Amino acid sequence: MKIIIIGAGEVGFTIAQRLSEENHDVVVIEKDPNKIRQIQNVIDVQAIAGSGTSPSVLHEAGIKETDILVAATDSDEANLIACFFAQHLTDYITKIARIKNPDYMEHRQIFSQDFLSIDLIINPKSEMVASMLKLMEVPWASEVMDFVDGRVKLMGVTIKDNSPVVGRRLSSFNDYEHAVLVGAIVRGEKVIIPGGQDTIQPNDLIYCVSRREEVPHIFRLLNLTEEGLSRVIIVGGGETGLALATSLDTMNINTKIIEKDGQRCLELAEKLEKVVVLNGDGTDRELLVEENVADVDIMIVLTGDEESNVLISLLGKALGAKKTVTRIGKLSYIPLVSAIGIDTVVSPRLSAIRAILQYIRKGKVICEAPLKGEGAEVIEVEALETSDIVNIPLSKVKFPKEAIVAAIVRGEEIIIPRGHNMIKPHDHLIIFALKDAIPKLEKLFTVKLEYF
Amino acid sequence: MRFRQIFRLIGILIFFLGLSMIAPLLVSLWYSDGGFLPILYSLAITSGSGLVLFLPLKIEEYPSLRQREGMAIVTLGWLSAGFFGSLPFLLSGSISTFTEAYFESISGFTTTGASVLSNIELLPKGILFWRSLTQWMGGMGIIVLSIAILPFLGVGGMQLYKAEIPSPIVDKLRPRISETAKTLWKVYLLITILEIGLLFMGGMPLFDSICHAFCTMPTGGFSTQSGSIAQYDSAYFEGIITVFMVLAGVNFSLHFRFLKGDLAVFGRDPECRVFLSTLAILILLVTVNIYGQVYHSVGNAFRHAAFQVTSIMTTTGFVTGDYAQWPGLSQIILVLCMFIGAMAGSTGGAIKIMRIILLVRHGYQEIFRLIHPHAVRSIKLGGKPVPAEVLNSVWGFFILYLALFIVAVVIMSSIGLDILTSFASVAATIGNVGPGFGLVGPVNNYLSIPDLGKWVLIFCMLLGRLEIYTVIILLAPAYWRK
Repeated sequence: MKIIIIGAGEVGFTIAQRLSEENHDVVVIEKDPNKIRQIQNVIDVQAIAGSGTSPSVLHEAGIKETDILVAATDSDEANLIACFFAQHLTDYITKIARIKNPDYMEHRQIFSQDFLSIDLIINPKSEMVASMLKLMEVPWASEVMDFVDGRVKLMGVTIKDNSPVVGRRLSSFNDYEHAVLVGAIVRGEKVIIPGGQDTIQPNDLIYCVSRREEVPHIFRLLNLTEEGLSRVIIVGGGETGLALATSLDTMNINTKIIEKDGQRCLELAEKLEKVVVLNGDGTDRELLVEENVADVDIMIVLTGDEESNVLISLLGKALGAKKTVTRIGKLSYIPLVSAIGIDTVVSPRLSAIRAILQYIRKGKVICEAPLKGEGAEVIEVEALETSDIVNIPLSKVKFPKEAIVAAIVRGEEIIIPRGHNMIKPHDHLIIFALKDAIPKLEKLFTVKLEYF
Repeated sequence: MRFRQIFRLIGILIFFLGLSMIAPLLVSLWYSDGGFLPILYSLAITSGSGLVLFLPLKIEEYPSLRQREGMAIVTLGWLSAGFFGSLPFLLSGSISTFTEAYFESISGFTTTGASVLSNIELLPKGILFWRSLTQWMGGMGIIVLSIAILPFLGVGGMQLYKAEIPSPIVDKLRPRISETAKTLWKVYLLITILEIGLLFMGGMPLFDSICHAFCTMPTGGFSTQSGSIAQYDSAYFEGIITVFMVLAGVNFSLHFRFLKGDLAVFGRDPECRVFLSTLAILILLVTVNIYGQVYHSVGNAFRHAAFQVTSIMTTTGFVTGDYAQWPGLSQIILVLCMFIGAMAGSTGGAIKIMRIILLVRHGYQEIFRLIHPHAVRSIKLGGKPVPAEVLNSVWGFFILYLALFIVAVVIMSSIGLDILTSFASVAATIGNVGPGFGLVGPVNNYLSIPDLGKWVLIFCMLLGRLEIYTVIILLAPAYWRK
């Protein structure tokens, strides 16, 4: 596939990198010559210096033969204009635009109808809010992802020092066969796709897959203590904070929101019903103690200042908050902050990247969620009739070593497979894989198709 | 520096270089010229060495190469290509000493075309074919070829490509570097086949047609005849070769765009315009200069002027007339041509038209600034501003080119060569031209240069082909520091 990406900020850059590694032909359009040079050095794409809103630059980039246009600049207007020209230069191009302005989002149907017919509008902030809400459904997990419309749940759980499962082999969890599968273990910087012989160690972040109704199994399996979600503190009452608070407002969860700006607090108070709006600084220890941070189940830190977010989260943890969710904008910070004890990171850019990649891979690899940083991925694929892997037991399939089938979705049925299970045509598979194995997997699933 | 990775890639390169000897092997078999066994041994040694270097150095994946590693791979790769490329010459006894064989081999790969051989016709056909093949592979680049073949290089390919491609501005024709390399090679192959066809139809034997086309398109200049193209004394062959030398001197991305249907691309490209008009003016000057003095008909004067100016300016180095006997002005023009060279991104060598344009415009800008001290001006090429770093690298290239030229000339004269030979031999090798003046003039060869001198010239040829930076950086102590 040929893909044009406009804007080589963090979002554009990461998407370009991933797609290029997956053997797509990628052209990046970027104004800043320094970024162009950086791209040329780091990823195998064609980088064109120029404005993505210029039809002649789009022509130069070969928009006529392009399948997908991703407008990922920081400016909503630039993204819209780029889609506008793309629409008028070619008929069949798929257009994805990143739109931040909530005003535009309210009238998104204008953009997706005839006039522009943008196929996917990504609002990084609302993507982020959605992922935070998902996280709250399973408060003991540090990461939650949905597959097959939420019927299959993927959860990341950090194993505490005193957890009874420490030291146990995965093969010893026989009771939970066909209910829970551990698909990946993140140990320090390393991601392991485990086999039965691997053991669980303290501080491992393990990723398990389970049917939605069997999520409590994981809970029991890991001997976690009950931590229902009843109290939430949000620090930072910006767009995201407000959106999140609004959702929590309707969910009967005791929510407090801390905002520095008095004027903004008034606005928040007008818009929110039950949520307690507090005017103060999140770094203010007194305020946090006064508002009883020690009893809070989740503290969500969403101010506009990256560094403060990290500090506030650490402060909250020190004061006894059970769990913190921290907003980090810069992707390069993410591996660092988990090392210093931040539980969960949310990032509008990462959310946007996930959403865009997920959309682009539709059809072939339907759904994708990168695990912890960059090391591994969970992908959802459809097994075609022509594929080599169907109708033979899983243990016989020549699967890459770095990948494991975590679930088979066959119509209404969801199978957490063992070696004897078979993949049937049109099954949807949920696969854990290290990044290196992804091209091999894609080949395994699509190679036969290309003869047609 | 990750040496495992560097040596592994060089191993792969050598392995494929060995495989390329299958072509001369078949030629040798066909003509049963006695070259079969020596070439077979060379093939075995080369590919074997490649495997020995490549197999034990298993690495888990190919993390992207850094720029400095790319430069090391390219330079070391070329040095070893020169070494293994000399084996057929040595083993067949065509060339007796290692220095001479290495000289011939590097001269081939760098598309210089400076030879130590005198009775070329007597060599086995297989060896002659290998000699032409080294030029053809070196022209578009052995590294670019391997990028086209080995897609796993990914971004690393870009680093290698930048280190080998002879241009200050690197143009990526396709989104993927391996696709870009493939595209360039396809264009190159296509034009070469066209030339073979045209030469063959004009009556040149097929073997000679292939060899000459293989040496025209990379602007190489090796011939299967001792008397070069002059041996045929055919206006048709000279005309065809002149046209294809000009084509070889044009940036190959322009050929690509032309083939894709953009027919006006040559006229629109500013560098191409300067290249063609400079060529035309110089041909005209030389024609006028040699008419009456050397050749007595306008037609003959033009024929030789056009061929010789094109041959030297595109740094090919084919010869149709003993230009050492031409009047002073013509000789000076040819010397200038050795420095100017062809377009950036072509297979030609020397400083290249694009750099000359940028240097001249930069010079003019300084004058302009003296007249209008407050003027803000940017240097443009084809309507697009040229980034300051490109300008700096062009200046750096120019200074290094001259400095290395001077150093080499001093060394050459210090080993006892006359001033003309010292000057011309260095100019002709660092510019990848081939024939020079004096002892290395159009009717002589490089055999008479002492061994030390040959090594200096070998170094000059590599500097010229890899555009100085890639080679010279390996000599900088800071490069090897961690």
